[in-house]
Amino acid sequence: MRALLFRRLLTAIPTLLCVVVLSFVLMRLAPGGPFDGERALDEETRAALDAAYGLDLPLGEQIILYIGRIVRGDFGPSLVYRDFTVSELIAQGLPVSLTIGGLALLLSCALGIGGGLWAAVRAGRWQDEAVMGAATLLTALPVFVTGPLFVLIFALGLGWLPVSGWEAGSPSHLVLPVVALALPFAGAIAKLTRAGLAKALNEDHVRTARARGLAESQVIARHALRPALVPVASYLGPAAAGLLTGAVIIETVFALPGLGRYFVQGALNRDYPLVLGVVTLYAGLIILFNLVADLIYGWLDPRMRAE
Amino acid sequence: MNRRATPDNPRTGRGRPGRIPLLIVAAIALAALVVPPLLPWTHSAIGWDAVRAPLFAPGHLLGTDTVGRDLLARTLVGTRVTLAVALAAALVALIIGTAWGAIAGWCGGRIDEAMMRIVDGLYALPFMFVVILLMVVFGRSIVLVFIGIGAVEWLTMARVVRGQVIALKERPFVTAAEAAGASPVRILTGHILPNVAGVALAYLLLTVPQVVMVESFLSFLGLGVQEPLTSLGILVKEGADDMDLQPHALLIPGGVLVLVIVCLTIAGERLRDRLAR
Repeated sequence: MRALLFRRLLTAIPTLLCVVVLSFVLMRLAPGGPFDGERALDEETRAALDAAYGLDLPLGEQIILYIGRIVRGDFGPSLVYRDFTVSELIAQGLPVSLTIGGLALLLSCALGIGGGLWAAVRAGRWQDEAVMGAATLLTALPVFVTGPLFVLIFALGLGWLPVSGWEAGSPSHLVLPVVALALPFAGAIAKLTRAGLAKALNEDHVRTARARGLAESQVIARHALRPALVPVASYLGPAAAGLLTGAVIIETVFALPGLGRYFVQGALNRDYPLVLGVVTLYAGLIILFNLVADLIYGWLDPRMRAE
Repeated sequence: MNRRATPDNPRTGRGRPGRIPLLIVAAIALAALVVPPLLPWTHSAIGWDAVRAPLFAPGHLLGTDTVGRDLLARTLVGTRVTLAVALAAALVALIIGTAWGAIAGWCGGRIDEAMMRIVDGLYALPFMFVVILLMVVFGRSIVLVFIGIGAVEWLTMARVVRGQVIALKERPFVTAAEAAGASPVRILTGHILPNVAGVALAYLLLTVPQVVMVESFLSFLGLGVQEPLTSLGILVKEGADDMDLQPHALLIPGGVLVLVIVCLTIAGERLRDRLAR
């Protein structure tokens, strides 16, 4: 297991470097810069600005300097939010995004595994068909449709919950964004759990357990569930990436002060350091999450632990 | 026990090719192509005398938006743009994915390993952000929207095609073609790829809704298709901004979007499951 983790880390670091270099080069190739306003700046001012932000150095040198600073946690100053450094913006936005994303991940796992289990036990009956149909529908619902729809129904229509905002993370402000973000992933996890369990219930060791006279609930809990969850674990990596992208929309819809909103603002305003910082952080988070998924994988399937 | 437990058991009726879902999508696509020229309004004609017309208003079946543009025309044109972008991007993904997977699967060995390592690495990247970066860098032209999306959605296709090619490589008819002296290029294009086509089509069907989702996502954020052109993502965004006064401006484009995604997903999954048996 340790060897596996070590190997994964060995590929994770070059991947992260590639992301940084690639996005850096792309951003610099972009036509138009952060100082292109309504009025063209005169040569001297522009040169002074470029020098101040290090934009006049050769590209290779800029990249190396940038990576050196990232390693020390310094993502440079934001070009649009002039009073803040990118690190400060990230420090403000990250807790919000992590709260929303983490809660949504927990909710989607609970709903998905629960629903998939419930359907698999009733395989072939109408309950199974209903849950799987609902799961297919859920995976097809984009968050930018469900988000506004929830606001329309539960906030504007019924008046049960606030329309938007953060309010220092008060629970009532969290419900709608978290549920809207979690639903598509709950659908996907339910499908995977259902399929995994259907397969696991036909395996030899499960037949043996049944032959020993174990109750069906025991058979599932002790023998079938763990192998059935392996595909769910391998979905967690892509799910984390999906949750991060979904969070961008959710934060826009519900006006939450998270990373995703800064990212969109940065992208629209060509705020290079901000966009680069957030992309680097997202790539790091996704790689970290894939590592965690590998650990869960090893725990679920002992064969993975052997070299 | 659990005779009906497998998802593609013919008895449960699942696994049939999705004719009905495909027909629904075809009907929507046909309406989006044929109807707009017949309407008295274009999708971008502003009408200050008919701002926020309600549903079934005279001349505006679905009402109008905040600047009096006809929502029926806008929804149909938006559907057309979304479907066109999705199809084009899925084709880009099909071409890159098939070529990449076929070459990796055919060559095998180190080349295969290196090529699939790259695919694995790319899987770990935050795609949406790569696409957004591309949009920021190259400006928000519609051509780049679909090339950009297609260029990041080809990974699954590459994996699937590679698996198929490896399985087909050992089949007698390939050996026969080799013995007859056919060149590798000819064997790949003439003998192997035609046999991959069915599975590739199933994954093409599954890629289209993915791309619809990505395109709408970008347009919703203002990073995709630009005005005066419109797309379902833009319409959902505009509807969401005005939903307290006109809920149908959100519900109709949102409904069309969800219907297209659900239908294509079901059709693709059924075709895939049928071919897997």
